[in-house]
Amino acid sequence: MSKSHLIGTVAALALAASAAQAADSKPIVIGVPVGLSGANSVVAPSVVQSAELAVEEINAAGGVLGRKLVLEVADDASGAAGAQKAFDGLIYQKKVDVLISMETSAARNAGLPAVTKGRVPYIYTSFYEGRSCNKNLFVDAWVPEQQVPPVVDAFAKEKGAKTYFLIGSDYAFGRGMLGFARSYIEKTGGKVIGEEYLPMDGSDWTAIISKLKDSKPDALITSTAGGAPNVTLTKQLRGAGVSLPFANLALDEGTAKSMGADAKDVYLSASYVTGIDSPQNKTFLAAMEKKFGSGMRTPNDLSVPEYEAIYLYKAAVEKAGGTETAKVLEALPSVSVTGPRGTISMSKQHHAPLTMYLGQIQGDGAVKVVGTFKNVDPGAQCPKL
Amino acid sequence: MLDTVPAAERAAADGRPRLARAAPFVVAALAAMALWVAPLFLDTFAVNVLTRSMIYAVLAVTVDLLWGFAGILTFGQAAFFGVGAYAAAMILGTYGATPLGFSAAVATALAAPALLGAAVGWLSFYHRSTPLYASVISLVVPIVVTQLIYSGGEWTGSSSGLVGFDVLPFEIEGFFRLAALFLIAVTLAAWILVRADAGRALVALRDNEARCAYLGLNPRRLQILLTTALAGVAGLAGFLFANASGVVAPENAGFLFGTELVIWVALGGRGTLLGPVLGTVAIDYLAANLSGDLPFLWQLLLGTAFVAIIILLPGGLADLVRRLWGVLPVGRPQGAVPRLVAQAPGSAAAAPDAPALRVEGLAKSYGSLTVLENIDLEIRAGELVSLVGPNGAGKTTLMRCLSDGTEPFRGAIAIGGVPTRGLTPNRIVGLGVGRKFQVASVFESLSVADCLRLARAPHDGLNPVGQDATLGLPQAALDVLRMTGLDRLLAQPTRLLSHGQKQALELAMVVALEPRLILLDEPTAGLTKAERTTIGAVLKALTAELGIAAVLVEHDLDFVRQISSRIVVLHQGRLVLDGTVEEVVGSELVRTIYAGGVHA
Amino acid sequence: MLLILDILTTAAILFVVAIGLLAIFGVLKIINFAHGAWLTIGAYCAVVTAKLGLNPWAALPLAFLVGAALGGLAERFIIRPLYRRPLDAILATWGLGIVVGQLITLGFGRDVQLTPNLLPGTVAVLGVDYSAYRLVALGIALVIGALFALTIERTRLGLSARAVIMNATLARSLGIDTTRVRLVVFMIGAGLAALAGVLLTPLTSVDPNMGVSWLIGAFMLVMVADASFLALAAACLVFGAAQVLISTFVSPILGSIAVAVLAALVLRVSPKGFSRA
Repeated sequence: MSKSHLIGTVAALALAASAAQAADSKPIVIGVPVGLSGANSVVAPSVVQSAELAVEEINAAGGVLGRKLVLEVADDASGAAGAQKAFDGLIYQKKVDVLISMETSAARNAGLPAVTKGRVPYIYTSFYEGRSCNKNLFVDAWVPEQQVPPVVDAFAKEKGAKTYFLIGSDYAFGRGMLGFARSYIEKTGGKVIGEEYLPMDGSDWTAIISKLKDSKPDALITSTAGGAPNVTLTKQLRGAGVSLPFANLALDEGTAKSMGADAKDVYLSASYVTGIDSPQNKTFLAAMEKKFGSGMRTPNDLSVPEYEAIYLYKAAVEKAGGTETAKVLEALPSVSVTGPRGTISMSKQHHAPLTMYLGQIQGDGAVKVVGTFKNVDPGAQCPKL
Repeated sequence: MLDTVPAAERAAADGRPRLARAAPFVVAALAAMALWVAPLFLDTFAVNVLTRSMIYAVLAVTVDLLWGFAGILTFGQAAFFGVGAYAAAMILGTYGATPLGFSAAVATALAAPALLGAAVGWLSFYHRSTPLYASVISLVVPIVVTQLIYSGGEWTGSSSGLVGFDVLPFEIEGFFRLAALFLIAVTLAAWILVRADAGRALVALRDNEARCAYLGLNPRRLQILLTTALAGVAGLAGFLFANASGVVAPENAGFLFGTELVIWVALGGRGTLLGPVLGTVAIDYLAANLSGDLPFLWQLLLGTAFVAIIILLPGGLADLVRRLWGVLPVGRPQGAVPRLVAQAPGSAAAAPDAPALRVEGLAKSYGSLTVLENIDLEIRAGELVSLVGPNGAGKTTLMRCLSDGTEPFRGAIAIGGVPTRGLTPNRIVGLGVGRKFQVASVFESLSVADCLRLARAPHDGLNPVGQDATLGLPQAALDVLRMTGLDRLLAQPTRLLSHGQKQALELAMVVALEPRLILLDEPTAGLTKAERTTIGAVLKALTAELGIAAVLVEHDLDFVRQISSRIVVLHQGRLVLDGTVEEVVGSELVRTIYAGGVHA
Repeated sequence: MLLILDILTTAAILFVVAIGLLAIFGVLKIINFAHGAWLTIGAYCAVVTAKLGLNPWAALPLAFLVGAALGGLAERFIIRPLYRRPLDAILATWGLGIVVGQLITLGFGRDVQLTPNLLPGTVAVLGVDYSAYRLVALGIALVIGALFALTIERTRLGLSARAVIMNATLARSLGIDTTRVRLVVFMIGAGLAALAGVLLTPLTSVDPNMGVSWLIGAFMLVMVADASFLALAAACLVFGAAQVLISTFVSPILGSIAVAVLAALVLRVSPKGFSRA
């Protein structure tokens, strides 16, 4: 090991020396490993679009430290095996300077060893169950501590909800979200009278729905895997005539549209909804329309963090004076940008305080903002970092 | 007459195997050297991707042994791989990179899947289990294992998998070399096994499981052993994977990964070992390069290629290459032919006083249809008893009851004094019974010599690492071979034999078992006059000279008259006559039965 | 009461999903692992029906016809060469399922599709509000079962099919065109699968992979039923009940793998499954 390590170090030094000279002209390469196929393939195109917009805007404005940005997109098949290939390809073959992407937790975890060995920064732009800690990893999307309290507080205050029923898919995100929801409900004086899970690929929620109806709770909170299981559960809930206050922690505007009338009145909690009334959001939406026209995928809570993360990286590189990983990692927690979601800074143990919106789906599938919660803190995600 | 192979041929047979024996090692050594230096020329991306591809290729080898050789279509190797990987990740995560941690991880990654494999084997293989059932179980296992991983919470990391555990202190080149050596070692071991005599047992299982059982081999035990051992190998691959990639995820254990393995093996060429290895590495490497750019198209192409290969080219690409190679005017050496030697009669326990066969009050019915009723029969050593009667008299059913104690019947059957109720065919064979079927039952993809060697396996075992240069057979079996000319066709694949030659081969195999009781179901059906005479002479010699008891089902009354010492007449499930040849042949009853007049 | 309705409707849905697979396995002795893909094809027929602005129920005949037609092609070019290699047929049909899934993805995209609800709302049955659609599904299962039974018992095709089931060689020697019987049965089985796909749309999301999660359950039920149509009904009832009861009283996670695990154990104890009883 020591010998090859030494050679590696020498080579790296030599490279660094030559890189310093060529630095002015060489483009900065951003790797985007994303689930073009598999479970995330529904949302992935919108993520790629917002990355393309960010890169186009930055390049049009002169790039970063005079260098152009280039995107390298790779399919991680939404899973671990695909992610290993995608990360290897981006880090070792395409020699990216940074990875910025929204992925499943399995794909993120599978990529982390390559990120550590390849020594590149990685900004993760997907909301997730929290507590993924690595010195190269930063997150600009929400964690349970930020998303759940608005829902529970609103149900308790406005619907007078005391008893809750929780339903989720049996996987890290589902369990993580509902586990936090349970502790928060109990801490704030409510009671959880049922918590049930079905496997991710399960398609028959009959027994769980019957239990739900039997126990007559005041409110329902669900957290399934995105896409198919979410639609399946909602269809079956509505088919069984369930009409309680119902918050869906895994719902985005696009999926709500594919549920049609079944999604009406469902609550969701997000750091981004298209209806945010800010100049930054209006400019962003107009730019998206202009660039992609009828091919535009509706921007959402998974794609907008990608857009902002690229700006965060730009700010960090400018502050660090270059793309050298150690310096960029040092700069990342201290920079901030103001984007469609407001002012974002990944200053809390590699995570970001965020403004959260409580929305309710209308009959036409649009989301109406019914509550705004400023600068919700992510809590202690990575105390050791 | 001990030695039937001419001297010149023997010399050749001795020389070739030595070269053939060395070949796999030479190839393996060259491959190991090439792969050892490969990381110096490959970029990091290729080294990383190929490391995983080679680990997957180890799994492909295990799938090929199970499916391509032993005929067990399995989707379950992914589950064993996953269990091994998770065992390693969980233990290394708890105990860290200590010697204790690594040894515990290796041991568990080997033992846990092997135990699970044994349980799965026990569940999948039992007397009268079907290949389809084994496939069904192999489908359920990964589903259950994946569900356990999802439900494992912090312990297994649920859907996110485990990451951040300590791994072996290698750089990526080190893991590449480790994976390469492991792949070469497993492939070499598999290669040696399938080329060795013991490997023929796998093919025999695939070809004709019933014949294996009736040679006294226990097909279930072989299948369970194979499943267990290969589950352990898959688990070790999982250990290596966990270390090399630093992460394990539920999909590593999933049913979809299991089907992917089968797809790789099918495309590469099942039953060829090298085909699946090269197929897996090539497809997985291509996938890493292409699937990012065209995710759906890649799946579509792979799916289409898979369907086409299954339908049009079941032997996969390796088979195509082999056929093209076959077109070239390159001499293909024939398989080495073992030298036949006479084996001293086994030290089988002296025939006990009890009759070779005793049947008391045997009755059998299918629902309301009674097929056999109240059969009493006793046969002593040296007797050749013919069982005659018109079609539907119950002769074949009686033979089946005699040779398979798990058939539901009433009454009692004892072989050499031992009751057979509940005994599976291989255990009845163990009591000294040999059964020859009506339609010659041999191993179609094996050579004549291999078939005979398998018949000797319960006595002499099988060489697990090489091909024995000699094949010891009892003199009686040698006689059968010599009289029928099969001794000159030892290297011939069985499927190329004539109908009569197959019958003779099966008889030789049964005789090679050194049975004390032979059950023969129409051994002369479809044979020429000359062949019949030969078989008759063999049977007379067996019974008269060696004191073997024989039960013969036969339609040819002339033949029966010539060779029998006693004749038993079955009619409508009843035993209507039991006497000497003269008594029976002269009987009015028999004539009427064969004329179709009697309805008792 | 709720429990009984849950069990009955769950069994009915399992039956509807599995019957097409059973028809094919019974006569052809081939496991059609593309069954899941045909469920998906049926569901996308519902999507197309909605896009054309037709009555949602019109998707049922459309799906049957499309499923049967595509099934005919699959039988001719993929299944027929593999009659003597049943294990290979499993693999080839699995590969076909992958191909169909990718073609649907290329044609319609990966997204979850919006389908019209065939019958929204609930009705009060004996004191409980129950999903109207699930009750209708129960009725539909009974109708499909009855039609299936009539076809087998009362038509020439049914007679020929039974003859092929018992002894294909003998059937051929009696002048039955076994090749045609197999083709027609495969088309009916594929058509029924597509029909089931439409019937699933109110219960599940419609996306290119939707069929896979139903495949294993249907497959296990058919293994246990071993080509007998009544045994399939019994298996659906027993395993549907097991699934609902385990989900209700133990854990939905165990409940969801109950069908697969219990069926495997039943087969181990009694290889002929429920058909013997």
